[in-house]
Amino acid sequence: MSELPKQWQSVLPHLGHTLPEDVAPPSSGEGVSVNLPMELVRQSLSQREFWDIPEPVLEQYRRYRPTPLWRADAFARAVGARVPIYVKYEGGNVSGSHKFNTALAQAYYYRKAGVTELVTGTGAGQWGTALAAACAWFGLRCTVFMVAGSLRRKPYRGTLMRLLGATLHESPSPLTEVGRAVSADRPGNSLSVAIGEAVAYAAERDGCAFAIGSGETYSILHQSVVGTEALDQLGALDAKVDAVVGCVGAGSNFGGIALPPFAAAVREGRPAPLLLAAESSTTPKLTRGVYAYDRTDSAGRGPMEAMYTVGSEFAIPDSHSAGLRYHGAAKLLSAMRFHGQIAATAVGQADALSAAHTFVRTEGVLPAPESGHALAAAARLAVDGVRDRDADHRTTEGVLVCVSGHGLLDLGAYDQLLAGELHDEIPDEQLIRLATANLGRPR
Amino acid sequence: MTNTLDEAALAVVVKQVLLAESRLRMDPADLRDDEPLNGGLLRVTSMGFLGMLIKLEDVLGIELPDDIFVGRTFTTVDDVVQAVRGRVA
Ligand SMILES: Cc1ncc(COP(=O)(O)O)c(C=O)c1O
Repeated sequence: MSELPKQWQSVLPHLGHTLPEDVAPPSSGEGVSVNLPMELVRQSLSQREFWDIPEPVLEQYRRYRPTPLWRADAFARAVGARVPIYVKYEGGNVSGSHKFNTALAQAYYYRKAGVTELVTGTGAGQWGTALAAACAWFGLRCTVFMVAGSLRRKPYRGTLMRLLGATLHESPSPLTEVGRAVSADRPGNSLSVAIGEAVAYAAERDGCAFAIGSGETYSILHQSVVGTEALDQLGALDAKVDAVVGCVGAGSNFGGIALPPFAAAVREGRPAPLLLAAESSTTPKLTRGVYAYDRTDSAGRGPMEAMYTVGSEFAIPDSHSAGLRYHGAAKLLSAMRFHGQIAATAVGQADALSAAHTFVRTEGVLPAPESGHALAAAARLAVDGVRDRDADHRTTEGVLVCVSGHGLLDLGAYDQLLAGELHDEIPDEQLIRLATANLGRPR
Repeated sequence: MTNTLDEAALAVVVKQVLLAESRLRMDPADLRDDEPLNGGLLRVTSMGFLGMLIKLEDVLGIELPDDIFVGRTFTTVDDVVQAVRGRVA
């Protein structure tokens, strides 16, 4: 029986490089403020490796962790894999995804800092659900701006958030200047608008703070509980893997599963396993984007961060994997990609949902469409290998893949798969170049 | 160890860190208490401010309180000194 880790593990001391500094947003000239609880600031900037998980957060973790890890032989056989595939499953909590791991931590720290309400933007709805649940547990009010198209497609995501006590707004909404500025003929980047609305809404209210689910270094730290636990479970099975695969929206899921094995290898002086990021072909920041300073939200109130991006203004093609429709990758993962520590592959939604379909029939768990991207990439790697940046990546021992969430509220997407109506819209090279042309490069 | 710092010494430490953050080479003694953090001389951004607070925690061996950020804006050098003073005393 494996145990719940008592500490989060930071990769920062093992990187061998430092992250490029953020660039501050234009100053209002009126002094400065701290917009995060200090512990989250420390977790983002300090080189400390191990961080005690606060007892109230552990207590919540214990209700759904350790999460299952198993050798998915039936899936591996069905796809023709040459090596074993081990699956770590994060969909078994009330929010239905890994996002709950950081939502609980953030709600705890904000509450401790005296905040009474958390506000956020959500695309797929998993983050909104996770924050709603965490706020309910820790006694905070919660307001969620959810991308309107995504909410229409998945109304029960909204129901779940409201059941958990959250106030839900469709984005773009008339409530904020950011939302009002979006015109029908220029829809722009929907998730970054929802996030921008949440930032603006929180800024105008006392006791209210904006919380973000992924991308920031502290959220990746909180997700380390996934990879740390998985290493322990693999050890108990006496299993060896030389590759770790996860899907990337902004990157906390991938960071969570992949960075603890990376850190363990560096610490023990072994070669690191292959870290393979599976991104959506609608937002191919890691495989086709540029490494540049870009905004994290559409309001531009946050800092500019050095990231692989397709441009925060890029109009992302439609897809069922709203959770992967984010224009950039976390600065931490981007820096690792820049330094050659992370490989990447882009997956279309037809492939992703087919892999998920195979998975539910062989392993009895229906993955979220986002997680289907990771399964498709893991299968690709375990069958033929993956080509990235002029290198061929193969695995000879085994693959660890994280199934980040369940797909039980994404049945509309699976309906389309069954009806043969799923199409992939691949962004035009010219559009990516246009959307990134004016971004500054990190030195 | 540093808990015995008196207010004047503490102000010097804060000023040293602020000057370093603004990449200025000047004597901390010449930096006024009411100098704006974000004015003609000092150029402390919200981003830089976070890094600076962590540096102050390290240098002074203290932990700043979690609620330091709720509804609070830091405008002058002295605002920072006061926030830190509460923890060192
Ligand atoms: C099920 C699922 N997997 C993966 C992701 C992508 O997450 P991340 O931002 O951590 O990369 C999301 C985001 O919403 C998600 O809902």
